[in-house]
Amino acid sequence: MKKYIIPIISLILFASVSGCQKWKGEHTEIYSYTPPAANPVSDKAPLSCGGGSTVSAVKGTMLSGKTYTVQAGCDLVINPLDTLLMQPGVTLNMGAGSSLIVLGTLVSNGSKNQPNWITIPGITKNDAPGGLAPTADPAYAGKWKGIIGGPTCNLMVLRWTHVEYAGLTEGDATSKLADAGSGNQYSILFANYKGSFIMEDSWLYGGVDDPIRISAGKVAIFRSTFEKNGAIGGDCLNAKGGTVGTMAYNLFMGTATNGQKASNKGQAIGAPQTNLVMYNNTFVSGGYRQQQSGRGGCINYEEGAAGMYYNNVAINCRFGYRVVGNPVADVAHLSYGNNYQWADSLSVANQFYPTGYITQPQSTDIPSITTSAKYLPTNYQLGSIYDGSDVVQKNNPAFLNFPLPTSGHALSQYSAVGNFNFHLQPSSPLIGKGNTGIKPLITVPLDKIYGLSDPTPPGADLGCYQLNGTGNQH
Amino acid sequence: MKHSYFLNRLLLFSSLIFLFAFSSVAQTIKGKVDDYKTGEPLAGATVHLTQQGVNKTAPVNLNGAYAFKNVHSGSYQIQVNYIGYKSSQVYEGNINSTDEIKIINIDLQDASTQVAEVKITGQGNNKETDRAARGIEKNAVMIENILSANTIQLLPDVTVANALQRVSGVSILRSPSGEGRYAIIRGMEQRYNSTLVNGIKIPSPDPAYRFVPMDIFPSEMLERLEIIKALTPNMEGDAIGGVMNLVMKSAPNHFVLSANISGGFSSLFSKGRLFNAFDPSSARQSPATIHGNSYGATYADFNNKALTSDQSLNNPLSSTAGLTIGDRFLNNKLGVIVSASYQNIYRGSNSKRLIPNAQPDYQPLPNSPQFSDSFDRTYSTQTQRLGIHNKIDYAIDDKNKISLYNLYIHQNEFESRLSSDTLGLGLNSTNFSKQITLSNRSTLTQQTIYNSTLHGEHFLGDEWKLTWDGVYSRATRNMPDRTEFSYDANKAINSTGVVTNEYDNNTALTHHWENNKDQDISGYANLIYTPKIAGKPVEFSTGGLFRHKIRDAYYMEYTLKGGSTLYNNNFNSIPFTMSLPIDGTGNSNPGLSNNYHITENDNAEYLQARFDLLPKLQVLGGVRIENTNLSYLTQSPITVSARSGKYIYTDVLPSIHLKYALTDNQNIRASYFASISRPGFGEQVPYQIDGEYYKEIGNQNLKHITADNYDVRYEFFPGGADQLLLGSFYKKIYNPIEYYVVRGSGPSDLFIQPQNAPGNATNYGFEALATKFFGIIGFSANYTYTHSRVTTPKLLYAPTGANGQPMNSIINETRPLQGQANNVGNASVLFKSANLGLDMQLAFVYTGERLAQVSAYANLDFYQHAYNQLDFSFEKTLTKHLSFYGKINNLTNAAAKIYLKYPHDKIKSQLQEFLGKQDIAAQTLVQSDYYKTLFLGGFRYKF
Repeated sequence: MKKYIIPIISLILFASVSGCQKWKGEHTEIYSYTPPAANPVSDKAPLSCGGGSTVSAVKGTMLSGKTYTVQAGCDLVINPLDTLLMQPGVTLNMGAGSSLIVLGTLVSNGSKNQPNWITIPGITKNDAPGGLAPTADPAYAGKWKGIIGGPTCNLMVLRWTHVEYAGLTEGDATSKLADAGSGNQYSILFANYKGSFIMEDSWLYGGVDDPIRISAGKVAIFRSTFEKNGAIGGDCLNAKGGTVGTMAYNLFMGTATNGQKASNKGQAIGAPQTNLVMYNNTFVSGGYRQQQSGRGGCINYEEGAAGMYYNNVAINCRFGYRVVGNPVADVAHLSYGNNYQWADSLSVANQFYPTGYITQPQSTDIPSITTSAKYLPTNYQLGSIYDGSDVVQKNNPAFLNFPLPTSGHALSQYSAVGNFNFHLQPSSPLIGKGNTGIKPLITVPLDKIYGLSDPTPPGADLGCYQLNGTGNQH
Repeated sequence: MKHSYFLNRLLLFSSLIFLFAFSSVAQTIKGKVDDYKTGEPLAGATVHLTQQGVNKTAPVNLNGAYAFKNVHSGSYQIQVNYIGYKSSQVYEGNINSTDEIKIINIDLQDASTQVAEVKITGQGNNKETDRAARGIEKNAVMIENILSANTIQLLPDVTVANALQRVSGVSILRSPSGEGRYAIIRGMEQRYNSTLVNGIKIPSPDPAYRFVPMDIFPSEMLERLEIIKALTPNMEGDAIGGVMNLVMKSAPNHFVLSANISGGFSSLFSKGRLFNAFDPSSARQSPATIHGNSYGATYADFNNKALTSDQSLNNPLSSTAGLTIGDRFLNNKLGVIVSASYQNIYRGSNSKRLIPNAQPDYQPLPNSPQFSDSFDRTYSTQTQRLGIHNKIDYAIDDKNKISLYNLYIHQNEFESRLSSDTLGLGLNSTNFSKQITLSNRSTLTQQTIYNSTLHGEHFLGDEWKLTWDGVYSRATRNMPDRTEFSYDANKAINSTGVVTNEYDNNTALTHHWENNKDQDISGYANLIYTPKIAGKPVEFSTGGLFRHKIRDAYYMEYTLKGGSTLYNNNFNSIPFTMSLPIDGTGNSNPGLSNNYHITENDNAEYLQARFDLLPKLQVLGGVRIENTNLSYLTQSPITVSARSGKYIYTDVLPSIHLKYALTDNQNIRASYFASISRPGFGEQVPYQIDGEYYKEIGNQNLKHITADNYDVRYEFFPGGADQLLLGSFYKKIYNPIEYYVVRGSGPSDLFIQPQNAPGNATNYGFEALATKFFGIIGFSANYTYTHSRVTTPKLLYAPTGANGQPMNSIINETRPLQGQANNVGNASVLFKSANLGLDMQLAFVYTGERLAQVSAYANLDFYQHAYNQLDFSFEKTLTKHLSFYGKINNLTNAAAKIYLKYPHDKIKSQLQEFLGKQDIAAQTLVQSDYYKTLFLGGFRYKF
């Protein structure tokens, strides 16, 4: 008997070990938030939220001529697979600190005669140069958060639509609903490389950081006007890794940093390389509210971005067209030419080809790169310091109403169109200098409502206004 | 480089083995003198030899050995005398020429043990000796290594963390100021290890994790430090690398008083590199805590004392002091010890670091390194540590005894960090312009651990024993009003490199509060039954524990901006405001998910048996069941997914340990155990905090880690403090948690996030340890080889699209576990002369190359280069009770250096100016931290 004791103990131990295995288990409960279903859109009462939630879900159609109101602090959410269609002539008044989160489809289908407004009511604009200091200007105050496209937003169309006074910090709750960043201060965010972002004939007024951030997407941004964009920094149209499309005939007044920027940073798995075609855009007084040194003022290509830029006009921008050498743009797939620049002063002219970067002067550039021995000498190396004194105030573009050189105000104070008019006089040296052989890169659907209605091809006149009446319609 | 160290180590190691052979002397009487109870060698005792009326004496050396050479043939008498012991009996005998060597081993009985022999285990100063430690290692049922108090006292280290690096198989991770902080045991980083005080798990003051910062413990409070590498069923099952058990000093047999005091300095703070000191802010609580989360704080609510009180100190004086008093009363039934330790240490480091860009370049090669920032930082750190502990044990009778243990540890760390960050390398900073963010951050971190344990032992008849513990523990960490000021220096540079224009703007002021509290109430009980079965003693034990844990974390940050006002070195002239008034309220805190409450209820039960299967083969086996039930709730609004969560899991952990006694002083061991590692508290909460260089985010989908562990070990204890240990281990780790650099929703966002590595990890290696004394000179060396592998998906950024378009794709990459070094070793030379009253130690630590940071991209992991540190310490007895001691750390000014495995001359030309001095052709140095040498000297008084 005794000799069996040890084996028996071993057996009991073994049995208890294997017996215990069936108690082994695992159970996990992670709280998961499901937004409520949407009700038909009402203009009778403010679109509201409550009960500890900031969410106000919306889908359906906002009718022509009606005004809708979003309660302060609410996130107006278009759920995945839902669509909100704003007919022409709709005003959507956003409450203080509210947002419009697009997880499904948003189409704001304004028209030339009946534009739409997504704005804060009751604010008086002062667009005179130097009329308000930036710190006092409501344009830069971020009254509401903005239109935040989530990663499931497949289509966002803004046609003949005014978007104003956005850019408030998203914060914890809003950013998590939209799967964006809590510190974001974008007036418009688009972040789906499979989706389409279309902006036609629209206006973006004000903003805090990047007024439009395209984290990724197919884009078509045509004939739109951008004013007072970015408080102390921010690139107006800032496209990151996985953005493909065209930006054309846009007018930028007083952007904090660049007007249009392309980078392949943050390219997602499966997303294409950033490839942007930019033509016939006009940039005025760009780059002066950027507090950091070395940033751009009109167009910028960097970090693996490919594309082209032709027929653009830069007036008194702090830095000229910038191609970055490190992290280097995809210079093998980047072409440019027929771009015009004007400088009131030597410091502007000295940055037509920004020092420290690799923008290659082109023979079609205006002013001519062979203007003088001082301006771009024969041994000029990309990004080196040169003397631009011979190209200051040369080739006056003869705008309808924007006297050059400017007088009475610092360049940084020209931040809104107001009474200025950047259409060309018939005497303008910009006429007929454009390259019309290049092609727009159209990646979005073409459709009168649910797509791009008019892919205007490159124009013969430099800048966003064509003498023949095409181009920017504002 | 690595190879030669490896070979040196092997050489040293093999020569030590060789030296274990004893040499012989003709016509000699020799032997050993040990304590009757503990076997401790009684160095300093006197052996008297009488032959034909002639008296000779010989001292007993450190090994406990004595010898009389050239002894005449004939009769002899031998007797040993030693203070505090009864004189030994007189040994009589005859020696003749054929004997040559006569070995006479003598045990002495402690004079105090004659009276009232109460059965008390775990008492007495004698446990603090190396010899006692060897005895525990030899007799332990599991695999462990031990540092005795005597060893620790002589070490150059004043904290437990630094002492840990002397243990076989252990390497340490350092804080930014160079102080060791966490232990990596057998290549398993800190999360895989647990910390016990007197066998009781203590909560951690760490803001996110369960592991305890080991630099908080002054090493002089320890009786011994045990590193347990194989778990038995009666131990908590949440350690995969090992368990650090801090056995604190217990009440002595007789009155004990010891005190020490010392002073010192770091050679870093001289020659223009001054120590930056500050007075902490008086704002203990954030405006949101004081006025509620709806209150809109403005500039007037903040106090900038932590910045405005800055002052430079030239060579500040560090100091330490310690006091221990213990005695035994009531006929030895009541023992009391109180011990206190105070340290005030000034340290620092100079650190340079390059930060990788969120995305590398795809040209000229896929995943070509790209950097965004170049940091230059200086740290000045003043650490004040106060540790007090107290143990009272009382023997009710010879069958029942209870004890009460109290531990209080408090640490204040004043850290001043001055940074210069050149950012946008190539983008905003080129050869014609520089954008440099300069910042000054003052941080006071206060950490406290309190533990109170009531322990009872009851003998219920001859075969039954019950032990129990009731435990209350609390760990807190408060970081009140961390204050940081930063601004951008924008410099224009002309073609000759001269700065032609500079303007300073973009001023920002940050006030930050971060508190956490972790509180445990636990109960342990063990029932031990030791019947004789078949004439053999068999020990059955069963028991369990219950722990109720509450953890709270609070995090609040306010950022104020100076707007467009330029900074002209006048902090007070900047009109700081909240960018938007709502940013001043607690409700708009973007980190609401950082404010959370956790409740964890764990219980565990075990059954184990120990018996001798064969006369020389001891078997210990059984099973443990660990039940975990954790729930968290954050302050995030209800529209935030993962704002709360609950995890319930049960693990069944079998283990078996075999010990075969080859001879009396040699064992062979083999063991298997299953164990787990629970994710850190903060890790499972979807928190987001700013780390030292990266933002860190949580992961609510983390699963806990499980592992199968196998060990074999050969042990040889030839006597004294000498030992030889050879071991090998193999671990299979399931769901290992590794830190990944992941990209956030924004294109520039880089986060560090813990994730379960897909696939399992393996970790194996072997350990060797040898200690040998030759009279007054001793050598000790240990070496551990570790090999771990895990395969994880990584990003590859390469021109793989149409027309050479760059695309990101996924490839699998196999690499070591984070923190694991293939080669880890220690070597020390000890000199211990009782005659001179002088002890000296020269200690060398080697930690081979290890993975410091995993990149999201293939081939861009950061590796810490092999690190060598040489330390020296000594202690000289001045009078009977007084000694002078000194400790010198980092004699060679070793630097911690981190490299990218990419040839630095292949880094793009635009980045070369930011690389700084490089020293390895095939790699790129991306971080270097220098600490310089630390000196400490003082007096110790013992009664």
